[in-house]
Amino acid sequence: MSRQRPASSGLVAGTLTQIGACGLFLLTLLAGIPRSGRYLRETIRQIWFVGAMSLTIIMVCGLFVGMVLMLQLYHVLSIFGGTSAGGMVVALSVYRELGPVVTALLFAGRAGTSITAEIGLMRATDQIAAMEMMAVDPIAYVATPRFLAGVIAMPLLCCVFCGLAIFGGHLVGVTWLGIDNGTFWSNMTAQVDLRTDIVNGVLLKSLAFGAVVTLIAVYQGFATAATSEGVARATTRTVVASSIAILALDFVLTAFLM
Amino acid sequence: MTVDPADTHTDEALVQIRGLTTVLGGRAVFDALDLDIPRGRVTAIMGASGTGKTTLLKHITGHMRADAGKILVDGHDVGALSREELYALREGIGYLFQNSALLTDYDVFENVAFPLRQHTRLPEVLIRNVVLMKLQAVGLRGAARLMPSELSGGMARRVALARAIVFDPGLILYDEPFVGLDPVALNQILRLISTLNRTLGITSVLVAHEWAAVSRIADNVALLATGKVVAQGSPQAIAADGSPWTRQFFGGEADGPVPFQYPARDFAAELGFAGVAP
Repeated sequence: MSRQRPASSGLVAGTLTQIGACGLFLLTLLAGIPRSGRYLRETIRQIWFVGAMSLTIIMVCGLFVGMVLMLQLYHVLSIFGGTSAGGMVVALSVYRELGPVVTALLFAGRAGTSITAEIGLMRATDQIAAMEMMAVDPIAYVATPRFLAGVIAMPLLCCVFCGLAIFGGHLVGVTWLGIDNGTFWSNMTAQVDLRTDIVNGVLLKSLAFGAVVTLIAVYQGFATAATSEGVARATTRTVVASSIAILALDFVLTAFLM
Repeated sequence: MTVDPADTHTDEALVQIRGLTTVLGGRAVFDALDLDIPRGRVTAIMGASGTGKTTLLKHITGHMRADAGKILVDGHDVGALSREELYALREGIGYLFQNSALLTDYDVFENVAFPLRQHTRLPEVLIRNVVLMKLQAVGLRGAARLMPSELSGGMARRVALARAIVFDPGLILYDEPFVGLDPVALNQILRLISTLNRTLGITSVLVAHEWAAVSRIADNVALLATGKVVAQGSPQAIAADGSPWTRQFFGGEADGPVPFQYPARDFAAELGFAGVAP
C-alpha cells in the first residue's frame, strides 16, 4: 500500500514553487530595466493606465475612509473629552497604515487584475510570441514598463488617497461635528513626523507595495495558461496573492520602520 | 546577422535541418527529421493535422528548442545562438501566425509599422509610405485606421501578412496563410507571395493544406508524417508520386500509413462490447 502525500504538503510545495518562480521573474524584470529604456513612451502610457485611470476609485475611497474614521474616532474620543485629537489620530492612522495598505489593496483590484488579464490575453492570442518572432523582447516591452509604472504610480496614488482621507476627516470633524479648525490642524502638524510618518509610512511602504503588487500581476500574466479559464484563474491569483503579500509585508515593514 | 535573399533561384539550402528530434507530451513529434529548404524558392510543408508543421516553423525561428538535432538558418545554428544573436537573426525573418496574432492595442497601421518602429529610426513619412505600400499590396490600405477587433478573420490574416513582409525579409514563414480568404483575396495573396519570391528572391516556407493553391506557387513540397519527411519534390512530382503516404494524403483516405484516429484503446471495448469487432 503506497503512502499518499497529504494535500496540504502539495499546497505548500506549490506555493513555495510559485514564490521561487516569482523571485526568478523579478530578477529577469530587473535585468530588463536597462533594455526597456528605449520604451519610455510605453512606460508613460502604462503610468497613465495604472495610475491616472485608478484615480477615481482611490479618491472616492480615500474620502470615505477619512470620513468614517473621523466619525468613529469622534464618538470614542468624546467619552474622554479628547475630540480635539481627532484630526491628529486620523492623520497618523492614514499615513502609517490605512493610506498605503488600502491604496495597495485597491490598486491590486483595479490595476493588478487588468495587468494580469491583459498580459494573459496577449499570451493566449500569441501576441507575446509574435513580439518574440519580430525580435522584440516582451520582458523589456511588456513586463518592465508595467512594473516600473506600478512602482512609480503607487506612491503618487497613496499621496492622493491620504490627502482625500484627511479632507474627509476634516469635512466630518470640523464642518459637521464642530471640532475647532485650528485645533484640528495644529494637533495634526504637531504630531505628524515627516520622516517616520510621511517618508517611512506613506512613501516607502507604498513604494514596496507597488513593486510587490505589479510584480505579482505581471508574473501571473506571463505564467498564465493560454486559455480563457487560465486567464480567469491568474486574475484571481493576482488579487489573492497581492492581498496576502500586502498585509504580510505591511507587518514586516512596520516592525522595521517604527 | 541577417538572412540574405537570393539574387536568383538557387539550390543552395537556406535552412538545413538535420536529425531533428522533438518529444512533446511523451509523443515524438519529430524523429530524426532531415529537410533542406532551398534559398530563393517557395517550399510548402504539408501533412495531416498534428504532424508538427507549425512546430517545425517554431524550431526554425528558435522559438522552440529541439531535444536533438541541428537547424542551420543561413549557416547559423539556431540552437546555439545567444538571445541577442537569435533576435538579430529573427530581424531577417518574417512570420505569419496561424491566428494572425495582431497587437490588439494598436490599429492596423500601427500593427504593420510595429517592426519598423522597433528596429529602425526611419523618419515618420517613410514609415507611413512603407506601411501604406504593404497595406496596398494586401488590399487593406483603406482599413489602416481600423482596430483588429473590427477586422474579419481573412482581413486580419492579410494585415498579419503585411506585417510579416514589412521588412522585405530574406525568409518568410507562412503558417496557414490561405485560411479564411475569399477567392479574390486568395488569388491576390498567391500573386503577392509569388511576386515577393520572384522579384526579391525571398525564400518562402508555407504551411498549408490547400493543394490547389500550393501547387500554383510552390517550387518544392515536403510531406510530413510520423515525424519524418515521407515525400519531397516539385508539386508535379509529388502529385505523380504513387507512395502510400501521398495516395492517402491527397486522396483524403482515412485508411493508410497515417491513422485517422488518434491512438486509443479498442473502440468496442471502450463502449462495453468486449469481444465484438469494431
